[in-house]
Amino acid sequence: MAEKRKSMIKIKPKKYKVGDIVKVDFIVIHPMDTGMKKDKKTGKIIPAHYIDSITFSFDGKPFTKMTVWESVSTNPYFSINYKVTGKGKITVDYTDNMGEKNSKSKKVKPKG
Amino acid sequence: MRRREFIQGMFAVSAVAITPTTVLAKEDKAKKKGVNDMSFEDALKAITGGKEVKESKKIKFTAPEIAENGAVVPIKVEVDHPMEENNYVKAIHILNTANGNARCADVMLTPANGRGYFSTRIKLSKTQDVVAVVALSDGTFIKASSSVKVTIGGCG
Repeated sequence: MAEKRKSMIKIKPKKYKVGDIVKVDFIVIHPMDTGMKKDKKTGKIIPAHYIDSITFSFDGKPFTKMTVWESVSTNPYFSINYKVTGKGKITVDYTDNMGEKNSKSKKVKPKG
Repeated sequence: MRRREFIQGMFAVSAVAITPTTVLAKEDKAKKKGVNDMSFEDALKAITGGKEVKESKKIKFTAPEIAENGAVVPIKVEVDHPMEENNYVKAIHILNTANGNARCADVMLTPANGRGYFSTRIKLSKTQDVVAVVALSDGTFIKASSSVKVTIGGCG
């Protein structure tokens, strides 16, 4: 299950300055199976498969850590705030309960 | 003779047909208890360590009153609290009261966040309360809750 997952980081609003508080949205395509649902074709229970830990970091320095359980919806969306301090890169690392590890980055380019 | 064989065969088939279903039903019951099953009280204790949690108006907790689809319930937590070096919102915990596992998400914040804010989408199995427990850096806990009516459950 080492497939590459589609994920996206959005910074809102699009134009921001140093010192502004921006919204950082992170969306990832993931089934988030609870382990309670049955496969309609085979009748077998789909094993639990969910993201369990997410780390937001700026230039390698983590600033927000999340622990997540299966009660979060399919294709999860997480939104937090971040105070812009300068140019750099926001990286989101996430792992799931089956040991899958992935990460996604987005450049931070403040204007003015 | 033929009829007797036929009837015996019938019994054999039905016996075979019955046993797997009963076994399956037992398995179902065992599986329904998930790995992370935790009641709301246990989860709250694990977070606060038995400390008092006060209801507070500092937290603005937004959740829909009626959720048509329990699989996607958008929630939003905003904490009106400064985010300075020694006085900040340490963590936001999202808990439900009636799902198999009461814990939804734990978010550990730092002063670099600028504001205590978190938003996500959660699954709810039935009509219940959703609670946001906020840990402040001075070791106190505050909470806010909201009742969500669920039309169709979203937990399988």
